[in-house]
Amino acid sequence: MLAIELFIQGIVQGAIYALIALGLVLVYGLLRILHVAHAALYTLGAYLGVIVVNNGGHIVVAAAVAMIVVGFVGVGIYRLAYKPLLDKPPLIALIASIGLFIAAEEVYRIIFGAYGMSFVQPPLQQQIELFTGFHLSAARISVVILAVLFIGVLGWLAASTRTGIAWRATVSDPDMAASFGVNIEKVRYINFFIGSALAALAGVMVALLNNLVEPTMGAVPAYKALAIIVLGGLGSVRGTLVASIALGIIESFGTIYLGHVLDRDAIAFTFLIIVLMIRPQGLLTRG
Amino acid sequence: MTKLLKSLSLAVVLAFSVPFAALADSIKIGFNAPLTGFAAADGNSARVGAELAVEQVNSAGGIGGKQLELVVYDDQASPKESAPLAVKLITQDNVAAGISGSYSGATRAAATIYQENSVPYISAYAVHPDITRAGDYVFRTSFVGEVQGRAGAKLIGEMMGHTRVVMITLNNDFGKSLANGFKEKAADFGIEIVNEYEYSIKDREFGAIVSKAKSDAPDAIYASGYFFTAGPLVRQLRAAGIAAPVIGQEGYDSQKFIEIAGPDAEGVIITTSLDRDSADTVTQDFISGFEAKAGYPSDMVAASAHTAVLVMADALARAADDSAAALREAIAGASVMASTGQISFNALGEVLKDVQVQVVKDGNWHHYAVISDSELLAPPAE
Repeated sequence: MLAIELFIQGIVQGAIYALIALGLVLVYGLLRILHVAHAALYTLGAYLGVIVVNNGGHIVVAAAVAMIVVGFVGVGIYRLAYKPLLDKPPLIALIASIGLFIAAEEVYRIIFGAYGMSFVQPPLQQQIELFTGFHLSAARISVVILAVLFIGVLGWLAASTRTGIAWRATVSDPDMAASFGVNIEKVRYINFFIGSALAALAGVMVALLNNLVEPTMGAVPAYKALAIIVLGGLGSVRGTLVASIALGIIESFGTIYLGHVLDRDAIAFTFLIIVLMIRPQGLLTRG
Repeated sequence: MTKLLKSLSLAVVLAFSVPFAALADSIKIGFNAPLTGFAAADGNSARVGAELAVEQVNSAGGIGGKQLELVVYDDQASPKESAPLAVKLITQDNVAAGISGSYSGATRAAATIYQENSVPYISAYAVHPDITRAGDYVFRTSFVGEVQGRAGAKLIGEMMGHTRVVMITLNNDFGKSLANGFKEKAADFGIEIVNEYEYSIKDREFGAIVSKAKSDAPDAIYASGYFFTAGPLVRQLRAAGIAAPVIGQEGYDSQKFIEIAGPDAEGVIITTSLDRDSADTVTQDFISGFEAKAGYPSDMVAASAHTAVLVMADALARAADDSAAALREAIAGASVMASTGQISFNALGEVLKDVQVQVVKDGNWHHYAVISDSELLAPPAE
């Protein structure tokens, strides 16, 4: 019984990781840049969600506003920060990304205050009894449903639409894709928009779960999402999803049974090290 | 004409020289606090609390006619920052003494440097036991974690009468020392510790711990943390249908905790050092003065920084001469009524004062009880 509860808590956490890590793996797949500043977009999404709701907006409107605004901010980051650095070694873009992330945290602190923000009346707090004695808030259930929905739709788009095919072509061979008339720039813009919007959604959902949005809330996802895409085999979307869920579940059980020895992050990184020792190419990728 | 010029220039000189003279005659106190980074909220509250105390002292005439001046630096709660800042405060700003409005790591590093230079230093709210062990120039006006943990055991076991307790412990120096104090006295007050779970300061998601704690079915939960971890934790405990009372500590002590936990904050009880319902005028002046100055209600870190400045000002006024040694003697002999109660120190420089117990009622912190058991609350003396 407890095992089932811990498993479900792990899935909820894994779904949040998946929403964040997906944007990161999309950017890595396309540009080979480790987009650390992605976690700053997750924080921005959370802030926008709280602000819209506290000003009378419905939570659905708030999530939509957060996703669209943050989507464009993500495109802006690509245009202003990464695009000028594309012909430089990837390390340069990584350093730019880390700088951007730290700067963003301080900008949030200056604009939104150091104390963080909370919903005055947090939405989606109704208790739903999944089975006897086990309650989950509507917010927790929504996290999983929305993650499945958005990732599912994204998978379908990538597999069956012209834009999706252009995107996959660009990932596997940008020069060849360009020579077949794919507008690579457009693919990159769409890529950043979608990845950033998903991070914003994750931010709004986490704000609902914790009722607290802080300037530094992106710090943990910033490095944990990197670990997840490494686990998933750097560039593999399916691997990233599996790694996200696996990590969520391992952390859930680990917090209870290993918590006295290792904290949650240490458990996650121990898992990463063990997996890399056995399968250096990542969980799903073939060597 | 020349006479007029002369008197004019004299007036100008006088006009400029008076404030400069006043400045030169001020007494500087160094203040390090995290004004940016993850601990910026606490650091800024502490700064406002300290500034309020300085304004109060100065408007009451200062120290023997001299004005107090606070020299504030941002240490980002990091020892890497606080150590060089302590050197700068002592050697360049020539401060008479220092106050830490920061966390344990940063405070420990600075304390060593103040001690080496024989300049008095008061830690306002950092909890690590080694801070005062830096030497005889270092004092602390807040409780070490162990003392507050013991008070928590008395509160839950004796005053509230609960037996089966689940501990949820923050795995840093603050949470660990609270847990040690609690476990040390738990059996004496008839408490059985069913289970203890640990979490890191970065955690805001407690799904797994909440599920497990629910299956333990405790009478009460002793959870250490800060408002930014405890707010989400209490909310998630209640969301899972756990109704057992939650007992926390001074880390919860902020209006922000109530804002985050919302209606779920009602009935949460903490051990702390600020009594919101105190009839004492120093405390009441602090509470109203802080809210007017900061724009939000007072909290524990602000009260602690305010207390530290008042203790320092009292010692400066009583010191036999201008030397650091005389100031140290004066601090050691303090007996001051401050915003967190009656303050005096033991031989190690640890504070001797009552523990305030507060409860959330109707969306605000209120008086619940006072624990003034000097044997139970005895801080380490060496």
